Amino acid sequence: MTLRIIRIPRRRAYPPRISAFTQPFWHELEKGRFTTTQCPNCGDIAFPPKQHCPACWHRPVGWIELSGHGSLYSRTTIHAAPGRFAEEAPYAVCIIDLAEKVRIATRLVGDPAPALDCAMELVVLQYEDGPLFGACSAGSAA
Amino acid sequence: MTEIAIIGAAAIPCGRHQSRDEEEIQTLEHEVLAGVAIDAVADAGIDKSAIGAMVLNYPRAYTKQLYFGTFMAAQLRLECDGVVMEVVGNGMTGGLALEQAAQQIRGGRVEVALALGVNFETAVSATVHMNRSMRATGDVDFHSSFGFTPISWYAMDATRYMHDHGVGRAEIAQVAVKNRHHACLNPLAQFRKPITLEEVLDQRPIVEPLGLFEVPPRSDGAACLVLSSVDFARTLGRPYVKLRGSGFHHEGAHQISERPNRMTDFNAARRAAAIAFAEAEVEPADIDLAEVYAPCTIVEVLVSEALGLVADGQGASACAAGETSLGGRIPICTSGGLLSRGHPPFITPLYSFVEMAEQLRHRAGRRQVDGAALGVTTCELGNYNAALVHVFEAMQ
Repeated sequence: MTLRIIRIPRRRAYPPRISAFTQPFWHELEKGRFTTTQCPNCGDIAFPPKQHCPACWHRPVGWIELSGHGSLYSRTTIHAAPGRFAEEAPYAVCIIDLAEKVRIATRLVGDPAPALDCAMELVVLQYEDGPLFGACSAGSAA
Repeated sequence: MTEIAIIGAAAIPCGRHQSRDEEEIQTLEHEVLAGVAIDAVADAGIDKSAIGAMVLNYPRAYTKQLYFGTFMAAQLRLECDGVVMEVVGNGMTGGLALEQAAQQIRGGRVEVALALGVNFETAVSATVHMNRSMRATGDVDFHSSFGFTPISWYAMDATRYMHDHGVGRAEIAQVAVKNRHHACLNPLAQFRKPITLEEVLDQRPIVEPLGLFEVPPRSDGAACLVLSSVDFARTLGRPYVKLRGSGFHHEGAHQISERPNRMTDFNAARRAAAIAFAEAEVEPADIDLAEVYAPCTIVEVLVSEALGLVADGQGASACAAGETSLGGRIPICTSGGLLSRGHPPFITPLYSFVEMAEQLRHRAGRRQVDGAALGVTTCELGNYNAALVHVFEAMQ
């Protein structure tokens, strides 16, 4: 599934580092695909992507694309922000349980207070200097 | 195995002690800590020559004197056959200092060891400090970029707990009122003016649903515990505190589990408590008081449940009903806790041990828990991804 891409007219406040290993994740994200690593030995799906399987320590792992669908496990709105993020405050963040039974933490865009357990979808947040991902209520305009 | 005792304790009141760089007269960490160490050893009633090891917290990034531990050995002119070392483990740091000092005694290398430290950080603004601390409580590349702050994870615990148990913010916020009441009775506490529930709920939001009085203050502090073997403690002819059991567990996760789980269960605390209670051969119902590491109201609710001191889902209502207040069934955070006693993070657990040492030697004054015989402490890191639990016993 291709994720909706939302343009954000600012630079990322604290851009992630990119390694040779994680570069494919960020490249695919810019194209609207949310990928991560899966163990060919035990099937465990990790996130963030890892060079080894955290469950059985098998190496190497393979890349898979995830559906981008999940549910809202929890959320908060951060008013007291680190200095780097001061201009963006208040902003909402959340924990999403993806359909593939992987838990991630990310920015919450659109409605800052959806009901817990409601259906969510991942989106691409395309900043001026590169991508991040985020989540919003499924089907919402965000 | 050699049994461990706390025979002395001292601390300065939590508060704002750190100087700003531009101030002409500076408050220096080593001067403050040397005074506290000498006070603690005087409290133990022993001679300096008995001390064989010192375990300190790794200093904050703002501390100018590096190799702080060895520098303190020189300040105190303390010759040691055991270790002089600094430890770190985020909020658990003070607990690790106690554990490592105890290990020196258990290993038979020394008879007396100090667990001590100083944490100065209040001259650095919260917004600047969080630029650093957000890198500790999150994956720098896959969490920090979104702006998660250390307490934002606890706020998400609160959101989930309220949803799962139908509990309102006001009920959880009672923890702040209760802890402030306790702090009013503690000379080491940073905030000693009573507050009402309405005042707690009226504070500006920090991380929703939590407002200013439901999250930790910024604090400086310095504290020292004197540990010995129980055999040594017995020779002193005065009350001491016996370390009856300890447990540690790390759940192998950083802030959140990659596998969806019940985040608010605080599994590491449950596991560490089970180990500690088993070693101590006690049940949660035997405990007379608890001094828990709870930076936010919700964390005290969750850890009191994880320890089995209150039933699951009942942590907030038990507090609101007065069960966890002084005079209640199981007083929690008689010091005022992190919210009101204060929270100098790298040594916050040392303040918990100081409170336990006061309570279990029956010298806590107006906040004394009547007949306190058994107490439990916790400390943690992350979102209780790791927990260290200690069970202590009063020895008169």
